[in-house]
Amino acid sequence: MRRLMAVLAVVTCTLTLATGCGGSDEPSGSTGSTHSTKTIDITVSGDSVTPNGDRVEVATGQPIELVVKADAAGEIHVHSTPEQEFEYGPGTTTLKLEPIEEPGVVDVESHTLDVTIVQLEVR
Amino acid sequence: MSHGITLAHGIGGAKDLPISPELAIAGAVAALTVSFTVLAIAWRNPRYDEATSGRPSPNLGALVTSTGFRVALRVFGVLVLAYAAVAAVLGKDLLTNPIFGMFYVWWWVGLVPLSLLFGPVWKAISPVRTINLAFAKLSGSDPDRGVYAYPERLGHWPAALGLFAFVWMELVYPYSTELGPVRLWCAAYLAIMLLGGALFGSTFYARADPFEVYSSLVARLSVWGWRGDRLVVRSPLANLDTVPARPGLVAVVAVLFGSTAFDSFRDSTVWVKFVQSADTSSFLLNNLALLAFCTVVGLLFALGCVLTGLGDDLRHRELPDRFAHSVVPIIVGYIVAHYLTYLVEFGQMTLILASDPLGNGSNLLGTGDWSVNYWLSYHPTLLANIKVLSVVLGHVVAVVAAHERAVQVLPKRHQLTGQLPLLFAMVAFTVGGLYLLFAA
Repeated sequence: MRRLMAVLAVVTCTLTLATGCGGSDEPSGSTGSTHSTKTIDITVSGDSVTPNGDRVEVATGQPIELVVKADAAGEIHVHSTPEQEFEYGPGTTTLKLEPIEEPGVVDVESHTLDVTIVQLEVR
Repeated sequence: MSHGITLAHGIGGAKDLPISPELAIAGAVAALTVSFTVLAIAWRNPRYDEATSGRPSPNLGALVTSTGFRVALRVFGVLVLAYAAVAAVLGKDLLTNPIFGMFYVWWWVGLVPLSLLFGPVWKAISPVRTINLAFAKLSGSDPDRGVYAYPERLGHWPAALGLFAFVWMELVYPYSTELGPVRLWCAAYLAIMLLGGALFGSTFYARADPFEVYSSLVARLSVWGWRGDRLVVRSPLANLDTVPARPGLVAVVAVLFGSTAFDSFRDSTVWVKFVQSADTSSFLLNNLALLAFCTVVGLLFALGCVLTGLGDDLRHRELPDRFAHSVVPIIVGYIVAHYLTYLVEFGQMTLILASDPLGNGSNLLGTGDWSVNYWLSYHPTLLANIKVLSVVLGHVVAVVAAHERAVQVLPKRHQLTGQLPLLFAMVAFTVGGLYLLFAA
């Protein structure tokens, strides 16, 4: 009897949880092509970079541009699948990323300074 | 060069999206409710007895104890080691070398589902056990006995240290995806294991081999168990109850859970921003944080165990190791949540790369032209649901396992109140884990 009640309790809770999940269902795989370009301004001066590890939300397939203002040449890695690598020179450079189709968190790193500039939340 | 692509868990590109706050809260509420429901209505007398539980499975038992089966598994283990060794020694120092995936994905993560499904897999294929066996055969001695008896007081402490050495390499060491360090780690592992086997016999592997301890611990959540030398099929709960309480077991579970939690935490914006704006080196900060996560988990759990009244037959300091098996389901639930996409996607990637171990364009396994299936990543809502369900399920099993142990070892009058602190510790682990899935 107790065993039955325990099973019932577990089932009830699982159901509660399942309905909780059902409610939070969001439309995934939105139509990326209709999105405007996401522009992220990056400033590199000496050893410091802004932004410094912030999250930026982008849609799947949304075009992304990095506008890099730097005092010296360097390299940026985007850890999407597949990986993307960019070089920039001193002054202002606009880097066009390949749109990211796979949902997930993608780190954009300064390879030169070994820091995470932004984390793209692709959803 | 390779350091730039060093990310996630040693290797890897994109990571999972955080789960939604609604889902995290639903999971936490379910965990809380189940905890107190179990406490209120579960049995009051011990149910699981290692000596009687489980149904014998004689046919399967005969198969798995047969020489042919055992030798086949040992040969498989040695072949995989040899293949990995060739890639590690003769392959290129690039991320396309399959050794990194074999080391961080197949070995470390893959061992968990294998053990959960098939039982103590590493014990059966472990090449270090095989080499020890071969040495013993050649010298005409008993592989189970070494020069000395394994000191009982040491228990699983060396395994906890070995597991920490692995997670340190994976999560903290900056050059974790360069060939030299991985090679060195494996060489040190092999050397220590072979020396330990010679000194203490194969008992050393059961107590001190980090991978065997991990695999055999997870295997107690499978349906496969042994009663004497008979193979039995048991409920995972009854099977989990048969984990031997040895010194250092708490340290093992603390390292496993603490390090996985740290792995989530170190990707969170809070930590990334903090580390990058601090004047202290990020290497030092990561070292301290990993150590802190493992220590806090261990202390919180130990505290939850000892805050109870006891009879005369037990001492408080024995309690944490007596209860430590009950954290294993929480660990496994969280490992599923944390590593599922990683295992599925980088596991496939490794299989593709493994076809060309030397980086000379060969396709030895015929898998070289396969492509990775990213289906799971393209279904983030389903993935988030699987994650939360596995965390909550792990929590439920853990709470029931701890309840059974409390009924077994605590005196009647302390059984209910004595369980409460541990219940709170477990709720803290689960809610903390869900929070990290949401925030990181």
